[in-house]
Amino acid sequence: MAALTTTAPARPRKLLASRKTRIGILYALPVVVYLLVLFVYPIFSTLFLSLKDTDGALTLHWYADALTGVNLSVLFTTLRISAETALLSLVFGFVLANAISRLKPLWAGVAMLIVVVPHFISALVRTYGWIIMLGDKGLVNETLTGLSLPGAPFQLLYNELGVVIGTTSMMLPYTVLLLYGVMRGVDRRLLAAAASMGAGRITIFRRIYLPLVSPGLASAGLLSFILSLGYYITPALMGGPNQTMIATLINQQVMKENQWNGAAAQGVLLLLITFAGLLLVKLVTSLGASRRKRSAT
Amino acid sequence: MMELRSTLAGRIVLTAVATVILLFLALPIVVILVTSFSNNAFASFPPDTWTLNWYQALFADGSKWPAALSLSALVAALSTVFSLIIGVTAATALTRSELPLRSAVYALVLGPLVIPQIVTALGLFLLFEPAAMLGSPIAIALGHTVLAAPIAVLILIATLRGIDERLEDAAASMGAGRLTIARRITFPLAAPGMIAAAIFSFITSFDEFYISQFLSSVDTVTLPVQVYNSLTFEIDPSVTAISAILIALAILALALVALARWLGSGRQGSLLSVENTAGVANPGGETV
Amino acid sequence: MAEHGVVTPSVETAGAASATTTGKALSVVALRKTYGDVVAVDEASMEIAAGEFVTFLGASGSGKTTTLMMIAGFCEPDSGTITVGDRDVTRLAPQKRNLGFVFQQYLLFPHMSVSENVAFPLTLRGVPKNEIRRRVGETLEIAGLSGFGSRKPRELSGGQQQRVALCRALVYRPPVILMDEPLGALDKKLRDQLQVEIKTIQQELGLTVIYVTHDQEEALVLSDRIAVMRNGLIEQFDTPRELFERPRTPFVADFLGAANFLPGRIEQHTDAHTLVRLDGSGGLLKARRHDLAIGTPVKAAVQPGRLRVSAPDDGFCTGTVETATYVGTLVRAGVRVDGDDAPPLRLEVPAGRGPVTGERIGITADPDDVNLFPTEQGG
Repeated sequence: MAALTTTAPARPRKLLASRKTRIGILYALPVVVYLLVLFVYPIFSTLFLSLKDTDGALTLHWYADALTGVNLSVLFTTLRISAETALLSLVFGFVLANAISRLKPLWAGVAMLIVVVPHFISALVRTYGWIIMLGDKGLVNETLTGLSLPGAPFQLLYNELGVVIGTTSMMLPYTVLLLYGVMRGVDRRLLAAAASMGAGRITIFRRIYLPLVSPGLASAGLLSFILSLGYYITPALMGGPNQTMIATLINQQVMKENQWNGAAAQGVLLLLITFAGLLLVKLVTSLGASRRKRSAT
Repeated sequence: MMELRSTLAGRIVLTAVATVILLFLALPIVVILVTSFSNNAFASFPPDTWTLNWYQALFADGSKWPAALSLSALVAALSTVFSLIIGVTAATALTRSELPLRSAVYALVLGPLVIPQIVTALGLFLLFEPAAMLGSPIAIALGHTVLAAPIAVLILIATLRGIDERLEDAAASMGAGRLTIARRITFPLAAPGMIAAAIFSFITSFDEFYISQFLSSVDTVTLPVQVYNSLTFEIDPSVTAISAILIALAILALALVALARWLGSGRQGSLLSVENTAGVANPGGETV
Repeated sequence: MAEHGVVTPSVETAGAASATTTGKALSVVALRKTYGDVVAVDEASMEIAAGEFVTFLGASGSGKTTTLMMIAGFCEPDSGTITVGDRDVTRLAPQKRNLGFVFQQYLLFPHMSVSENVAFPLTLRGVPKNEIRRRVGETLEIAGLSGFGSRKPRELSGGQQQRVALCRALVYRPPVILMDEPLGALDKKLRDQLQVEIKTIQQELGLTVIYVTHDQEEALVLSDRIAVMRNGLIEQFDTPRELFERPRTPFVADFLGAANFLPGRIEQHTDAHTLVRLDGSGGLLKARRHDLAIGTPVKAAVQPGRLRVSAPDDGFCTGTVETATYVGTLVRAGVRVDGDDAPPLRLEVPAGRGPVTGERIGITADPDDVNLFPTEQGG
């Protein structure tokens, strides 16, 4: 007898397609109108402003300004601090996510809670916590002095170290969550299979595990890089003059110098770098997806 | 990686490093909570004597905190209402209808979440400054909604996707009209998700700094802006107390969300499962 | 917007379509549905009497579910009409059709208790509270669920959940209840048990049911009439016996009985019989009378269970038993027919005197069990 499979056909459940479309458009209207007026339009007006000279003529000189002298070095500082943050939060995130993925469910839940809860506490408050901790008489230096470490107390604030500690702690929840998801997605049987073929620990890690998680690592790193670019609070409160980032500059130009056009040009630059990063994330993700597909077949 | 587990030393090292990283995340928060009760706010840690002075100082005469607190609460409440209206309609459109350009609408919703907030804030400043609306609570709330509404939309999309659409078909087959289905089937099942959306919209607005700073005026200052100002300009020890209150509020909000989910789903799963906490962290269930 | 007030059929309407109603319950005329280039349902027409249990039987993609969904209103036909009683419901929303629907996935409302689930359609119809309590209690009792009323759906087993879903669909006595593979998610034993229960309830209450399944056995157990569907077409709509004994197409013969097909040509007609000269073995097979011209190439369909063993050279063909598998009360045998290089003929004979491998046997068939199909029909 012919074997019949139960796979149901795609349920033909759409009643009156045109009415469903009308309802969809009606319900999508609020969000679309809202974001067009309060999000897209403002960004375009920023773009126009960045291209407009004081007399209203079209110009690129705000961009020339933004890419020369102090402004350029601020841009480089921004990229440097973001890269340092991305790297550190990636390494810490990898270690922590890996450790959590081996814990028993209850402890994994507790650890995840410690990762997740700070994420919902204002960045401003957490930065303040770091300022208290990293001061000359803060917890960290007191501890280090107590251990009679030579050179203690250290200067941990108002320099690049302070900024990177701060931004890394802000980014860490993102990377841990992303990498934890990626690691849970790794088919453990693949590793067991490799072991059964006689592969050693390091070989398995390098040849099997790392290639499987590397797209996730790349996108997590890129994401924390992108998100660090626009940081303002932490560098402003925990850094010195040499850690001025682009967001600080935008803020200063608007609030103190009334130099909107220059601020707009820098905003657009920040936006462009962000888009480039997002494009890379997308590329990496699709690469990872195709790799997973191949490993599945 | 199961292979690495075999060495005890490796396991101990990994656990130790992981603990240090967890401390790295948790300590700044613990330190604030402890310091807020310390007699000598900027001296050694742990404190030698305890006090409630900083909390009392928050509400002393001439304190700027009550005004900032009530402004932030007002703005967050408005923003929550806007976000829920936008969230419910948008999530319905994206999950329960045939929407042309669906992916474009979805990208538009994700936009504010991936674009640097300083850029969004600058754009809003350019929009509201010519309208002489700087310092208006409405303007700040409208601005915050740009960030809060997408979060509400994502949470509600996940919520509606989690409700079997065919339950609505089942109700329809028995004769329930669209309003009845919404009221008696969809709404009760979506309630935990709506509570979560409301709470996350509220926190997003309550904690928002960039937009607030650009849109505030001298007399209308939201709580985060006041915290920032007191950290940069005038050292006010009460800032520790207000920070502790903000931490407590955030934890309370997360607990409420978890509770709503637990009660609503009636699932037997533990409150403290990894999936649960991760679900709270990534409410939309979407990664960028 | 379709609003509640308009939707609610009066209590009288709901009650009137009761067991005693006779005549036409539902009719479908020239129903057609396409998805792009694919014709999902092609000009389906049928009339279903009140109190009848009708099954749409077919493989996935045969159009059975689409037809059901169009009757329910979850899917709009391109053309054709659907009439419930005397009411044309073709363009009505599902909620205005006053039909019952039982889904494969149960779809009980998770936030309501069992009683609340069953009461739901009654509250929509504005039935008074006491009446609701009475009818919910009665219905749960019929389904053997008394005492489960206050439970939540997730506390029930799959079989119990589907019983609740059944209660929910019949509590308001819709004139027709539609069921979409309701037992598909259950294991075999439970399925058999619930088939009997559904059939009993249907007969006791005189319900009109349209049932969709891909399981032939289930269709045979439950149905008064079965519509066998393939590629969007109703191949045959008949009683189980007719389908089994007088299949109108080779597909039906194969689908319900897994028939053997023997190619041959019409050789001769007698008053009651038609004789077919088989291509392979050259034997002469006697079938009941078919009006086909002499010399027409045909396929003779005989179900394995209707073939009989005789002495060698005594039947329409002779062969060697290649395989003999004992399956409980039956032996399934494969016989290699002399002079025929087609796949072995399949036989099912009572286990007692079953053939053994290697044995030489003759094969006979009652002419009434032989159905002839002109080869042009394909299959």
